[in-house]
Amino acid sequence: APIEIKFSHVVAENTPKGKMATRFKELVEQRLGDKVTVSVFPNSQLFGDDKVLEAMLLGDVQMAAPSLSKFQKYTPALQIFDLPFLFNNMGAVDRFQQSPTGQELLNSLRKKGYVGLGYLHNGMKQLSANEPLRVPADADGKKFRIQTSDVLAAQFEAVGGVPLKKPFSEVFTLMQTKAIDGSENPWTNIYSKKFHEVQSYITETDHGVLDYMVVTSAEFWNSLDDDLRAEVKKALDEAIAYGNEEASKLAAEDRQKIIDSGRTEVIQITEEERQLWVEAMKPVWKKFSGDIGQDLINEALKANAE
Amino acid sequence: MAIRNLVSQLEEAILSLLLVGMTFLVFAEVVARFGFNAGIHWAQEATLLMAGWFVLFGASYGVKVGAHIGVDVFVRLLPAKLHRAVTLFAVVLCIIYCGLFLFGSWEYISKMKMIGIEMEDIPMPKWVSSTILLIGFGLLVIRFVQLGWKVLKGEAEGFHFADEAEESMAIARELKEAQEKEARS
Amino acid sequence: MTTAMLFIMLFACMLMGMPIAIALGLSSVTTILLFSNDSLASIALKLFEATTSHYTLLAIPFFILSSAFLSTGGVAKRLINFAVDAIGHVRGGLAMASVMACMLFAAVSGSSPATVAAIGSIVIAGMVRSGYPEAFGAGVIANAGTLGILIPPSIVMLVYSAATEVSASRMFMAGFIPGIMMGLLLMIAIYIAARVMKLPAQPFPGFAQLARSGLIALGGLMLIIIVLGSIYGGVASPTEAASVAAIYAFLVAVVGYRDIGPMKGVPWRRERESLPGAVVRNGAQMLLAMPQSIWHPEVRKVLVDAAKVSMMLLFIIANAMLFAHVLTTERIPHQIAEVIVHWGLPAWGFLIVVNILLLIAGNFMEPSAILLIMAPILFPIATQLGIDPIHLGIIMVVNMEIGMLTPPVGLNLFVTAGITGRDMVWVIKACLPWLGLLLFFLILITYIPQISLFLPEYIDHLRGY
Ligand code: NA
Ligand code: NA
Repeated sequence: APIEIKFSHVVAENTPKGKMATRFKELVEQRLGDKVTVSVFPNSQLFGDDKVLEAMLLGDVQMAAPSLSKFQKYTPALQIFDLPFLFNNMGAVDRFQQSPTGQELLNSLRKKGYVGLGYLHNGMKQLSANEPLRVPADADGKKFRIQTSDVLAAQFEAVGGVPLKKPFSEVFTLMQTKAIDGSENPWTNIYSKKFHEVQSYITETDHGVLDYMVVTSAEFWNSLDDDLRAEVKKALDEAIAYGNEEASKLAAEDRQKIIDSGRTEVIQITEEERQLWVEAMKPVWKKFSGDIGQDLINEALKANAE
Repeated sequence: MAIRNLVSQLEEAILSLLLVGMTFLVFAEVVARFGFNAGIHWAQEATLLMAGWFVLFGASYGVKVGAHIGVDVFVRLLPAKLHRAVTLFAVVLCIIYCGLFLFGSWEYISKMKMIGIEMEDIPMPKWVSSTILLIGFGLLVIRFVQLGWKVLKGEAEGFHFADEAEESMAIARELKEAQEKEARS
Repeated sequence: MTTAMLFIMLFACMLMGMPIAIALGLSSVTTILLFSNDSLASIALKLFEATTSHYTLLAIPFFILSSAFLSTGGVAKRLINFAVDAIGHVRGGLAMASVMACMLFAAVSGSSPATVAAIGSIVIAGMVRSGYPEAFGAGVIANAGTLGILIPPSIVMLVYSAATEVSASRMFMAGFIPGIMMGLLLMIAIYIAARVMKLPAQPFPGFAQLARSGLIALGGLMLIIIVLGSIYGGVASPTEAASVAAIYAFLVAVVGYRDIGPMKGVPWRRERESLPGAVVRNGAQMLLAMPQSIWHPEVRKVLVDAAKVSMMLLFIIANAMLFAHVLTTERIPHQIAEVIVHWGLPAWGFLIVVNILLLIAGNFMEPSAILLIMAPILFPIATQLGIDPIHLGIIMVVNMEIGMLTPPVGLNLFVTAGITGRDMVWVIKACLPWLGLLLFFLILITYIPQISLFLPEYIDHLRGY
């Protein structure tokens, strides 16, 4: 019987992640024919992001692509991707991820039984709120929804904000009812979840990155023979490259659609204003440098230089 | 008898406590947000975990007090002996169901214990939080064995199901009593 | 093959009289074990996920708790007084007032049989005393009682949202107009019948009395305002609103109305008590009532009752999620959808099939179980035929209402038989004309989607989408 790869993810099929998974399925089945089959389960049909990693260890899911924040309990070093204003743009993120250090990070999950196979982009995060946020003082006392992450909580606390943890599914209602004031999301999430319809202002800060890691279980990965593994990895790399292209295209498109919708005002901040945000949030780096490793942070900063 | 009573009270206390705890935690989040402009970052994980414990712990209590619902209009049409035989078979299937879950839970929990990660916001290993699977299905087995024994001895014929109609009649009785009291005074 | 296996197992288990939750779980687990290579460990994980990661589902125990506090005869009496004062003076007014009382009680309680028991046991006797035929009163109440699941908040709607991931707040909004419409339809029918049968009217008690009974009833009715107001007015999500409702209901029942708990029977003002004295005494007693409630047997009974019902529903839902998981991984709804689309069945024809299917199911099973089994199957087909999920939800709820009035399993029939002391045949006959009205209403709801969709869409429009 052919080897079955179940790819479980939590988004729709027409998103960059969904398209990447579908492309991976096509490539594998085209090239490996009857040796490997790939079944893609979108929309949390199989498991949500919280439990999919556990299911992977049980051998019932072979691949998934949760956001990088989901791995922080497994390796604290991965918190690096949540540090505010670490990367200037997606180019820098990509350079760091592709660098030897970035690739090394993929292996940091081995002790827990996982193998990182590659990074998949979503995009740079923007700040949204029901009042204009131009300088850090504007965020003072405001409630921001965050993903579970100590770094992100510290980031909002650094500007006097109140970080609130709420399930993604409730965020729209809570924004609409002004129970929470703001949030941080990449353009694609803002557009697909219609947050721009319930948030009056979006500040284009590019202050952080929200990316995914494509991951498999070490047990499964080692069970493939070397040739097959290389073929699968090659197909995955191509699919990821395609997914990343789609992600950057979509981010630009969605940003434009949000501006065109007229439902929200997109605020461009000046370089001086941006600098104020950087100064306010940068102390967060120091706080987590012990967990993450100062060397790693320095390596990441190098990616900005090129 | 005294022990049985104590066990019942304990089960009821645990269930009530979990229910009240969930209600207060979600309420406290609303109050914190509006009254104090603050969040309780561990509240969501704690509430959801309590919900899981509430359901899985409660399932066996539900069998004991007949809180589950089912379709028994057909089996009731059978002659008593046949009815009991069918029920006995169904009880065995229920125990198999529990057995499958006990086995699966054991594997799942041992694996989680092996990797040893913590929950997101509560400083507790993940495997500890899921031990309720073993506790819950273990208790459920006990309750089904008890039920099977009762059926075998002829003390019960079928599953005892919750009857919303019967429970609603409590209000009618309460009103009737009140009316009679009024009439007397 | 897999599909057949799944459904045969499910029905066999249910027919044997197994708890529905376990019938759903066992048939799913067996199917998974036989036809896929998933491990038991991952099925256990899936069940654990089903019980611990659905935040919106928590609204169910909270609403059940709040309705447990407010489903007392005391609350029912206050609502009836208010309704009689409001429309009792019209011809057939007592019957109309009963319908109104049912609608109000429905809004706070969410349980249909509880509505029939609470309102019915007072007003049917009252109607007979005022010269109505008993069958008339019984039929009206059994029918109006079904509104409990249509007028928000409604547990059945929350269950539908859980099964389909349709927004619970939109479902609530969608039930509002149909609920009021059904109530009005009943009242119009009563008015016509009253003219023909020359039924009596009550004297109008005056506006002062109306205002007073309205104020008294407001304690309970505030719950609707709190729930809907905080969801739509911008304070909280449905789950959070439900927790606020539960705490409010406790306060109303224990320190407001004092129907249950440590302050039961304690008057707000004793004879010859000074106003400041009463304020101080009440304040102290209320404070004291909080810790006393923990040990009070009546309060604890409400908690245990609510816990039993919530746990039972959530356990069914968790197992139904396993069932839905098998359905989706086996692409069963897609296959059924393809067959139906292949038949060339138009949306209206599909809706006839849906109604017939649900009416049959309603004869044997309880609403939440039917929804959990049927919704995941019908939902994808409806989407493909261009039927709005909210509209489908309301159709399903109205079908569930009818199911409460049809034998052999019809909860409202049982309760009506209980409170009138008559046999089932008598009750069924009494309900029959009104059941016809409900069927007519179902046709309206089915073929005029705007009745259900107008309010949620209007609210969206107000917000500028
Ligand atoms: Na209701
Ligand atoms: Na029925």
